[in-house]
Amino acid sequence: MKTVYINCSPKKKFCASSYFLFLQRLFAGGEKVTEKLHTPADYPRILDQLHDAQTVVFGVPLYVDGIPSSVLRFMEAMESFCKENEIHLNVYCIANNGFIEGKQNEPLMQSFEHFCSRAGLTWGGGVGIGGGVMLNVTRILFIVNIGLLLLNTVLSIARTGDFFPQDAWISFGESAAFLVFFNLGVLFYLGRMGHFIRKGTFSGKKYTRIMVPSFLFIIFADIFFIIISLFQGGLFRGWLARKQSAE
Amino acid sequence: MKVILYDLDHSYAAVVESKCDHAIVADGKYAPCQGCFGCWTKHPAECFMKDKLQQVCRIIGQADELVIITKNLYGGYSAAVKNILDRSIGTSTPFSTYRGRQMHHTLRYGKHDLWKVIVYGEITEAEKASFRYLAERNAINDGFERSDTVFVQNFEELEGLL
Repeated sequence: MKTVYINCSPKKKFCASSYFLFLQRLFAGGEKVTEKLHTPADYPRILDQLHDAQTVVFGVPLYVDGIPSSVLRFMEAMESFCKENEIHLNVYCIANNGFIEGKQNEPLMQSFEHFCSRAGLTWGGGVGIGGGVMLNVTRILFIVNIGLLLLNTVLSIARTGDFFPQDAWISFGESAAFLVFFNLGVLFYLGRMGHFIRKGTFSGKKYTRIMVPSFLFIIFADIFFIIISLFQGGLFRGWLARKQSAE
Repeated sequence: MKVILYDLDHSYAAVVESKCDHAIVADGKYAPCQGCFGCWTKHPAECFMKDKLQQVCRIIGQADELVIITKNLYGGYSAAVKNILDRSIGTSTPFSTYRGRQMHHTLRYGKHDLWKVIVYGEITEAEKASFRYLAERNAINDGFERSDTVFVQNFEELEGLL
């Protein structure tokens, strides 16, 4: 069984969609191929992968309550391609948005369902994830923690010859446990989706989120944007002002 | 201010433009949003791409009434129209708030009145239901007091709704 994972994020790197597709791949069997959709030049390469595939998993960010326009254009091309070549696939979707509620991905899910109906494909369901940007940050923090553990181990070997610095491992274990906890809902539902992908059956539409209380999430999100705006300069360029059109 | 965003061909431009204060044509020739958040964090209410949509959020942001004329695509906007909506998130700020019991961004230009969608093209009943739901979600997200979704068969019918 071949599954094609399509990363539909318009961002070139560090996108949440690639993180969720990476997690999903851990739970799916058979041959797995991941493709990045960025420009129309990517269409032939991705569509060619569909000839011998049984399943497609879209990883999509929510843009203005729906599917990004760049992805809509690809879906139109894929609809024509599948009809012309009589390709019948199972289609699953992993949607994520920056708000806390995974349920805000519902309009996007419905569009995928209609796409499948029109293209003669089988809608397999999806997982809608809230707090996608922040969950993506947990991936980066996890990598930073592994780096710190390695650094502490090297320092420990150099200073005392100890290959297993207990304090560093305890600190790493605590941080990792927190980060896994934030991802529990995502891990559960992506694991569940993997089960249905292997069976080739409908998984339903499920919604989950980062495991953080909403009021804390909003504070973290605001701090995140203040820091980014500070470094990028927007904070000093009429950050919240009612800008007028030059026209 | 009344703004019309439409994906009809140029032969309809004169009629559409006579019915509003500002018309935005979705001709499919614009680059898609890159998701960089620069219109929030770097150059507020302005896109880094220097095309005709660079300041589109400043126009949509000041609309009391936004009318969107779009061909149906999977129970949502055509790719050309969605492209422009994707490039207009600078109508809000990066700060978060609650509207309609869900998290959204605060509004740079305050509250608006009507988010109206006029849909043409072949459409199923299930897609109509999705489109109504989508327009309601958009209205809440962008701070419009109400939404209206209408499905038309031809341009004469459409013109009467503008």
